[in-house]
Amino acid sequence: MHTTDALVRVEQVTRTFPLDHSAVTALDGLDLAVTAGEFLAISGPSGSGKSTLLNLIGCIDKPTSGRILIEGVDTSRLSPAQTSVLRREKIGFVFQTFNLIPVFTAGENVEYPLLVQGFSSTERRKRVAEALENVGLSARAHHRPDLLSGGERQRVAVARAIVHRPSLVLADEPTANLDTRNATQLIDLMRDLNRTLGLTFIFSTHDQRLLEHTPRIVRLTDGRIISDNHPERNRHDEVLAACVS
Amino acid sequence: MMKFLLLAFRNVFRNRRRTVMTLLMVGGGVAGLLMVGGFFAFMFRGLRESTIHNGLGHIQIFNAEHFQRDEVHVLDTGISNWRQVAASVRSTSHVRDVAPRIEFYGMLSNGQKSSVFMGSAVDPDTERAMGFSPRLASGRDLATNSNGEVEALVGTGVARSMSVKVGDGLTILAVTADGALNGLDVQIVGIVNTGFKDLDDRYLRITLPSAQRLLQSDRVTNLVVGLDKTENTDAVAAAIAPRLSGLSQQMTLKKWIDLAAYYKQVRSLFSGIFLFLGIIVFFMVLMASINTLLMAMMERTREIGTMLAMGTPRPWIVALFMLEATVTGALGAAVGVIAGNLLGVALNASGLHLPPPPGLSVEMSFRVLHVPALMIGSSILVIVSLALASIVPAIRASRLQIAEALAHV
Repeated sequence: MHTTDALVRVEQVTRTFPLDHSAVTALDGLDLAVTAGEFLAISGPSGSGKSTLLNLIGCIDKPTSGRILIEGVDTSRLSPAQTSVLRREKIGFVFQTFNLIPVFTAGENVEYPLLVQGFSSTERRKRVAEALENVGLSARAHHRPDLLSGGERQRVAVARAIVHRPSLVLADEPTANLDTRNATQLIDLMRDLNRTLGLTFIFSTHDQRLLEHTPRIVRLTDGRIISDNHPERNRHDEVLAACVS
Repeated sequence: MMKFLLLAFRNVFRNRRRTVMTLLMVGGGVAGLLMVGGFFAFMFRGLRESTIHNGLGHIQIFNAEHFQRDEVHVLDTGISNWRQVAASVRSTSHVRDVAPRIEFYGMLSNGQKSSVFMGSAVDPDTERAMGFSPRLASGRDLATNSNGEVEALVGTGVARSMSVKVGDGLTILAVTADGALNGLDVQIVGIVNTGFKDLDDRYLRITLPSAQRLLQSDRVTNLVVGLDKTENTDAVAAAIAPRLSGLSQQMTLKKWIDLAAYYKQVRSLFSGIFLFLGIIVFFMVLMASINTLLMAMMERTREIGTMLAMGTPRPWIVALFMLEATVTGALGAAVGVIAGNLLGVALNASGLHLPPPPGLSVEMSFRVLHVPALMIGSSILVIVSLALASIVPAIRASRLQIAEALAHV
């Protein structure tokens, strides 16, 4: 496994949830490394631990054991306030149900992370315009979410996730609530942002349309990785095989 | 910060029906307080003015000894050079006039029955000029120059108890300034209804020269100062005080509020009642708002989770909920102030009357005053109530577990 220069490093992470008198293990001693600029899908059946893994990487949940490092920082050692700052500055979130603030316009929703980070109004305006242009929604900046289609809402969510130029964008089932056309547009958009802006995307999905565009797919079952088609590791394995032969 | 305020403001109108209900509740509380407080203010003002115009005046000037020792004989501690003092005070701005008075006690007799009286001797013309005319149930006020007869006004209670009417005669017995007993025959020219039953049962009023003849003294008990407006009392008192120093007798002045014990008692009682009503409104708004705000918090669990996931500091969430509650409180207060004032105007126009309260013998008109201090106070009360009510939901919202909040359906 390639762990040097990893943006995200998941080391022996286990997450169990108490259930009545027993406990359910959502993730079981999981290891994973993601380098900057990757476009990575976490796939698997329902209950396999996809969302749990994203929550842990996104620092909105804590592992029962093991540790997660983001840009070399052990997140388990951070205080709640430091964790909040890490999420605010380093991570962008895209949710399955868009989770836009309904009383804000599209522009204001995109502006929100900048507001939390204390950017000046001039800088906010500039970045919001850029982000909305990146997702092709400049003309819809003043529309409230209820006046946008599902695909547009999710693109606003993507703009919101990238506006503060995070190191990492986490997307939990981003195409689950979209029709094929909007899902395809969103996949293309995310891939395009990954290539042009060098943004790292980690998303959970079992949407085959999305997996077809994904160079690296980590498959989970019962909280364990059953396959990881890491392109570099595959190349490394091929070289190793050639040498051995 | 403006965006945050904007978010709070828009959130208030998110669930319009619930917001309207909250505004009606808060506004109702404020309007209720304005109605009750406005009526009490009207009552206080009425009582104040009737207390002043029933003879108390705005300011009274006494010989300083009056409050330092008990009189051995009547007018022992009276003012001797009262004409000089009155002239000095009369030249002060806002002073309408200065009336000399003698307060004395004695016995009244109709030849068959005797009764104790509390008498006052006045200069009728000056009293009238200051608007201190007695409220006559029948007859007329005292005349300064009568045709040899000593005129008197008696209270309705005195007239009833002594079985006398206008035109009848009575004999007054009093102890003179030298300690001797003196008598004076008077003719009743008017029956007075002061509005206070206890006072009506002992009331007697004669002219100043008659009293000085009866009491064998040219002193007066006090000088009563009448002003153009009650609100000028403090300013005039401050202006008069220096003029009273350097006289042959040491003088002291009392403002009407210092002497109006009954007014202060009534005001204290009704202020207590109003405070109690204020506390009820406070808790009513507090309890109802906690429930409403908790519902709002539950509905927005996922949104709060999203905001927290994006790194919103938890104190911001507390501040947002408190800001929303404060905005609701301010809007509710505005609704209440408008509704309260409109209701007040409508009630004032209706000309309602209330039966006489205990201790009074005349019915009261029902009017509501528009008191700015009351509007500000009631508004602050409901805004604070709502801000306090938001603390529990705000803290709960800020403590949500992000992962659970995001999964909330």
